[in-house]
Amino acid sequence: MRFLLSTRLLAATVAIGALAACGSSGGTTPASADASSRTAGDVLNGKGSPVAGGILNLSMSADPLCLDPHAISSDVEQIFGRILTDNLVYLDTDGNPGPWLAEKWEISADGKVYTFHLRQGVTFSDGAVFDAAAVVANFEHMLDPDTRSPLAGPYIAPYESSRIVDPYTLEVTLKQPYTPFLDVLAQGWLGLLSPKAIKESTPAQLCEKPVGSGPFVLTGYTKTQGATFAKRAGYDWGPPQLGYSGAAHLDGINVSWVGQDAVRFNSLVSNQYQATGYVPAQNAAAVKTDPNLVYSNVNRIGLPYTIEFNTSRAPFDDLAIRQAFVSAVDREALVKTVGFGERQLATSFVDRVTKYYDPEVKLRGHDLKQANELLDKAGWTGRDAEGYRTKDGKTLLVQWPVAQTATISPIFDLVQAQVKAVGIKVNVELLPSAQLTTRRYNGDYDLSAGVWHTNTPDVLYIKYATFSIPNEKRLGQNTSRISDAQLDGWLEEARRTGDKAKLAELYGKSQQRLAELVPGFPVYDNSVLWAFSAKLHDVVVDTSHGTPYFAYSWLEK
Amino acid sequence: MRQLKRIATRFAAGLGVLWGAATLSFVALHVTAGDAALATVAGDGANPTQAVLDRVRADYGLDQPLWQQYLGYLGRLLQGDLGESYQQRVPVASAIGEQLGETVQLALSAALVAVVLAVGTAVLTARRRPWIRSAASGTELVLTSFPTFVLGLVLLIVFSFQAGWFPVSGNDGVSALVLPTFTLALPIAATLSQVLRTELEEVLEQPFILTARSRGMRDAAVRLRHALRHALIQIVTMSGFVIGGLLGGAVITETLFVRRGVGQLMLTATTTKDIPLVLGVVLFAAAVYVVVNLVVDIVYGLIDPRVVTA
Repeated sequence: MRFLLSTRLLAATVAIGALAACGSSGGTTPASADASSRTAGDVLNGKGSPVAGGILNLSMSADPLCLDPHAISSDVEQIFGRILTDNLVYLDTDGNPGPWLAEKWEISADGKVYTFHLRQGVTFSDGAVFDAAAVVANFEHMLDPDTRSPLAGPYIAPYESSRIVDPYTLEVTLKQPYTPFLDVLAQGWLGLLSPKAIKESTPAQLCEKPVGSGPFVLTGYTKTQGATFAKRAGYDWGPPQLGYSGAAHLDGINVSWVGQDAVRFNSLVSNQYQATGYVPAQNAAAVKTDPNLVYSNVNRIGLPYTIEFNTSRAPFDDLAIRQAFVSAVDREALVKTVGFGERQLATSFVDRVTKYYDPEVKLRGHDLKQANELLDKAGWTGRDAEGYRTKDGKTLLVQWPVAQTATISPIFDLVQAQVKAVGIKVNVELLPSAQLTTRRYNGDYDLSAGVWHTNTPDVLYIKYATFSIPNEKRLGQNTSRISDAQLDGWLEEARRTGDKAKLAELYGKSQQRLAELVPGFPVYDNSVLWAFSAKLHDVVVDTSHGTPYFAYSWLEK
Repeated sequence: MRQLKRIATRFAAGLGVLWGAATLSFVALHVTAGDAALATVAGDGANPTQAVLDRVRADYGLDQPLWQQYLGYLGRLLQGDLGESYQQRVPVASAIGEQLGETVQLALSAALVAVVLAVGTAVLTARRRPWIRSAASGTELVLTSFPTFVLGLVLLIVFSFQAGWFPVSGNDGVSALVLPTFTLALPIAATLSQVLRTELEEVLEQPFILTARSRGMRDAAVRLRHALRHALIQIVTMSGFVIGGLLGGAVITETLFVRRGVGQLMLTATTTKDIPLVLGVVLFAAAVYVVVNLVVDIVYGLIDPRVVTA
């Protein structure tokens, strides 16, 4: 209920006035929105009384070729997870874990034992009952190497064992305290599947026909073409925070994979699809001004789009060179060019909507004079024939391998041109994704770039803890390969404590330390752009992912 | 007898081509940079554990020496086993099988349209007034040199985005097949029509045409009944080119129009280093070539016995 109240309050403010207006039954007022005006938990286009029936045609970007949420890392699951499955936990609008299929829980004083009290009367669409044993089957499926889980399993890596106290009480023991446990349980990739389906299917079969307890049931899946979902009759166990009840209003959702940006945009405008999970940034302006569409641009919890240095080898093992590189880069110009006005300049090593984001963090600004001074002081004083800096006869050259795709971001060339002004030579190498992945894990690069979306500030541990540096024994996401004892200490302590004041302090200090260490530089906050027809109402912005949540949406006749 | 021997030799050569295609692709896929196990489970946005990576390596024998992997692959291939797709975890044969129908549909309709267009244009424009000929061959030149991707996009913009006559994408029904068919067919039709017109013009110079005309036969009948018959043999010769154009063009066309099919499958398999699937598609394409060429050889021998005796 608190959620509904806050929505009404928001709707009363001038800033969101346009949003409420576009929800009028006529649906003709333009739904204007500046960069990231939506926030998690908002109900978009929410006026009127729901009408039952209708099929929502939804276009997505790429088929992950597998729909078992535990077996893939595709961002498709952020949307599909909410269509097909339910989770133990749902985040509230402040990013705190709240009840869903787990009604409440207790955490032991040492932070290692979680006792979940589960909701009764929930069933999966194949008839299997949701109970403590079902949850155990899911944890084991996520962790089974045969599932090849790229996200769900690793997110619950500290899981040790479970004890079924009674059918609806589950005691989970972790190997070590892990505060983000509850957060990650709310992610689409950790949606719960039928224990019966898990037991009776091979991994490939589960990929083709995952069975959940969610508001819709998967009725068809044709690889590379689309998937169809039908309303689950009798569904009545959505996240309580949303304040809705009962089954879905839509009869079903038909999903098509539409890979080309231009095609996805035009098929949305022509109403072939009533919603798309991926608005191309270059088309956002047109979508925004279209009176028949509602546009949403939501910042996401996690790492902003960040360009990272490989700090484990020359030249970026030298802090001064990293500082000089950042000073040479005009981040605002980058954001303007690649974001089409839809992205916000990043201000810290976490996106600003991340819990414990520290607005006081000071990132280095654009300062060519300082960049030149730093490079001079570091001994890169010579110049080669092309004007690049040299030291002991060697050119200041950095390798930047990037994925060769149909549409290559202009950001690589822009950065290359910007740092050329201070005499740094960037070599952008276009590689097939298989080669890029291999070089990433082998540490063979000087620059890398990307986002990491998760729903917890623990993203800092995933990206910057020494433990997360890939080596022969372990894969990991610390692509900057930064290793700092102080930072490790704070990030590890944050995994052990549940105390909010302490967490704020630890994550704040970590962000400030990262600004000093310069493992890279955040460019823009990671936001997700999507849109839907003004005839579609009550679309909720998911609190974990910022993506559309269609469980209670309805189509105007 | 001679005919049979010729076919047997061709058949053996076809098997050799298949083996060569499999071996070359196998080597190319394995020696090029990039760890297939990493690409399978640890791509962008994935954070798997080492245990998962080790399991994938062991499951697919990627931890064995290359010669052992190669012999194992050939051995399974001889038993008709194409292996399992790394990404989709289903047998390669069924991964291709479930996409094949749509590609065949597209390829056949494009081939039909291409041949009809080419024959029509060539018959209508051969030995006509210079401006008609140059207009036709100019258009053909533009179409053959246009990248398929651009051609498809132009058709999309004009007939779908603007006119709204055809759906933008998908596999639903005949109307969704129209634009992809023309995207695929036009460049092929243009080349065929050029070849066919040259051939027609040569035939139209022959004495027997003059004889036919002197018998009072009308121009249309001369072109259709006499000249075209002779020129059509060129289409048979060109069938290898047509198949190549269809297979290559399908990758781009299917991607652009978001149609399911072997082309799309090939593209994803290549970028993610799904070795068994890429090999499967390569073998499939090679087999199509071999079979088509074999059939052409046989048909050719029947149409024109000189080929056999020569």
